[in-house]
Amino acid sequence: MTRKVAYWILLLGTVSSAIVFLVATWDTHRQVAVLSNADKLSDRVVAGKAAFQKYNCNDCHTILGFGAYYAPDLTRVVQRIGEDGIRFRVLKPEEAFANSWRKMPNVHASDAEVEDMIAFFKWVGDINNNDWPPQDSKKRLSRGEQAMVASAGVSPGAAVFQTKGCMNCHSLHGTGGTFGPALDTIGRTLSMEQIEHYVQDPKSVNPKAKMPPQKELSQRELEEVAKFLSSLK
Amino acid sequence: MEYKSQKIAYWYFAAALPLFLLQILLGLYLAYSYTFTVPQSIVNVFPFATAREMHTNLLVLWMLLGFMGGTYYIVPEETKSEIYSEKLAWLQLGALVVIGVAALVGFLFGWTKGRPLLEIPPPLNYFVVVGALIFLFNVGMTMIKANRWTAIQGTLLGGLVFLAVLYLFGIPFYKNLVIDWYYWWWVIHLWVEGAWELVTAAIFAFILMRLTGVEREVVEKWLYVEIGLFLFTGIAGTGHHYYWIGAPRYWLWVGGVFSALEPLPILLMLIDTMQHVKHRQTKIVNRLTWTYAVGCAVLHMIGAGVWGFLHTLPQINYYTHGSQVTVSHGHLAFFGAYALLNLMVFYYAMPRIRGIEVYDDTRGKYGFWIMCCAMMLMGLFFGVAGVIQSYLERALGLGFMTAQSYMRLWMGAVFFVGLSFLAGVLITVTDLLTIRPAKVEA
Repeated sequence: MTRKVAYWILLLGTVSSAIVFLVATWDTHRQVAVLSNADKLSDRVVAGKAAFQKYNCNDCHTILGFGAYYAPDLTRVVQRIGEDGIRFRVLKPEEAFANSWRKMPNVHASDAEVEDMIAFFKWVGDINNNDWPPQDSKKRLSRGEQAMVASAGVSPGAAVFQTKGCMNCHSLHGTGGTFGPALDTIGRTLSMEQIEHYVQDPKSVNPKAKMPPQKELSQRELEEVAKFLSSLK
Repeated sequence: MEYKSQKIAYWYFAAALPLFLLQILLGLYLAYSYTFTVPQSIVNVFPFATAREMHTNLLVLWMLLGFMGGTYYIVPEETKSEIYSEKLAWLQLGALVVIGVAALVGFLFGWTKGRPLLEIPPPLNYFVVVGALIFLFNVGMTMIKANRWTAIQGTLLGGLVFLAVLYLFGIPFYKNLVIDWYYWWWVIHLWVEGAWELVTAAIFAFILMRLTGVEREVVEKWLYVEIGLFLFTGIAGTGHHYYWIGAPRYWLWVGGVFSALEPLPILLMLIDTMQHVKHRQTKIVNRLTWTYAVGCAVLHMIGAGVWGFLHTLPQINYYTHGSQVTVSHGHLAFFGAYALLNLMVFYYAMPRIRGIEVYDDTRGKYGFWIMCCAMMLMGLFFGVAGVIQSYLERALGLGFMTAQSYMRLWMGAVFFVGLSFLAGVLITVTDLLTIRPAKVEA
């Protein structure tokens, strides 16, 4: 190989790759409006993004998988913990994370800023991003549930409990979240019907409940998880 | 040292070293926070996020100072002339250090742009641009005045201009988060897998040529092929960051195919380093500098090449994206490709500037091996934590903190290995700043 050939490798390699990249960039700009629902990008959403940056949230959390990995990904945070869940954690982290071994700082965001951020998170949650993250994917999780039931021999209700985010807040045998009570012996206090009722609409049973209503569960999933929990005595 | 103005490089290196040390101290705080409970009262005042932006900005700052110092050292020898203006070089060093320190102090008080890795807020980031322009003007003028163009000079200047231009894409406030990340990667990816690789390849080629005495013709031929492959795979390879951001689906193909080829130029660099070392025309004088060169080529291949390849395919990345697997790759790649490169340059240039022909490398050897072993272990532990996270959180759908509790042991291991890494860095930094002539001729 001569020096001239080497030089041509450099030139052609760079130019061809740059052309592919720039053409794809142009096309991405064309398509992103639809993929990200840019028509719903209101002033409030933009203000939420500014607040999200102002408090440097992204250097602990990831969003769309980017940022720091110290705290949960926020891409589908509204779907996961609800608007009230976000308000509680941002405005009163001392209380929300009292039992957690990892803390969240109180950034003293104003109520308006928190509402803006919620609008921003709602908008982010609807971005069509090839169904990432997997743990929030409807499609993948039902498959994950099936696999768990088949291979690990757990009951369908236990699989629902593990894969539908219950353990983000509740724990069993010390594993799980600390926002809600541990459910190791919940079957002693509540029957299957009561649990079913509670999960659907916590506030109707306990007006002070912080748990969001679980509207995403199918009737079958609801019954299975209630059956499983009521068996814990 | 053949030219008087090369001595400026020494002060760039001397400024970079304490920043490197500070970066590691903050890294330890981060690893500690992953493992142990930091009380709410401290988290409120000095959150993880603040320590993290300091950790990463220190990394960029000391490495850029290293690259700039390296450039000021190499350019006079390549152009066979003095630097265009020594005064400008001093001014620029002072300005960068002041901007850097101001940014770090600002972070402590919540003055931040809140974009990961690009947190330096306006107007400080405009000053960064001014500093970069002064640097490019100074280097460019030196080359133009001398008019003795070589492939090494061209690559170096091209890489530095590319680096500066890309920084501009990180400055605006983007309303749409998708577009925001799209251009964020123009800075981050095209830096580390484009511009920085060019600068690295040029500096590496220069030092290899000087160390081994292999002909310029041969070295520069390899250089062309390497940077050609770096740019071919690296530019379109940016697509491996566009899988899950809301960009069109064809990025899964573009990113997957081009980035699967990204290890090739690094492998080529490793092979040609080995070839040059084998066919050297000179005898090995300062063994440690050679060790750094080979170590850099090997760890560059492991950290950037192998570790990057492992999770670049969309089918795998779907589960590992944004997990500690990324952290593992980031640490190994930055250390292998850029930290070791900078330290190699320091070990090459600092003794020469101080007029030491053969330096005593007893301490330096310990520093090198402790750092390399500790970083390999850290990379492995981050990796184990990342695999646990990918499986528990992503595949099984357990909650974030549930997965974190199983990873705690491994993050703790990172913290303790991090302490030995710190020891290695302390030895290396001290050794470089107080380098002594060897007592007995080897």
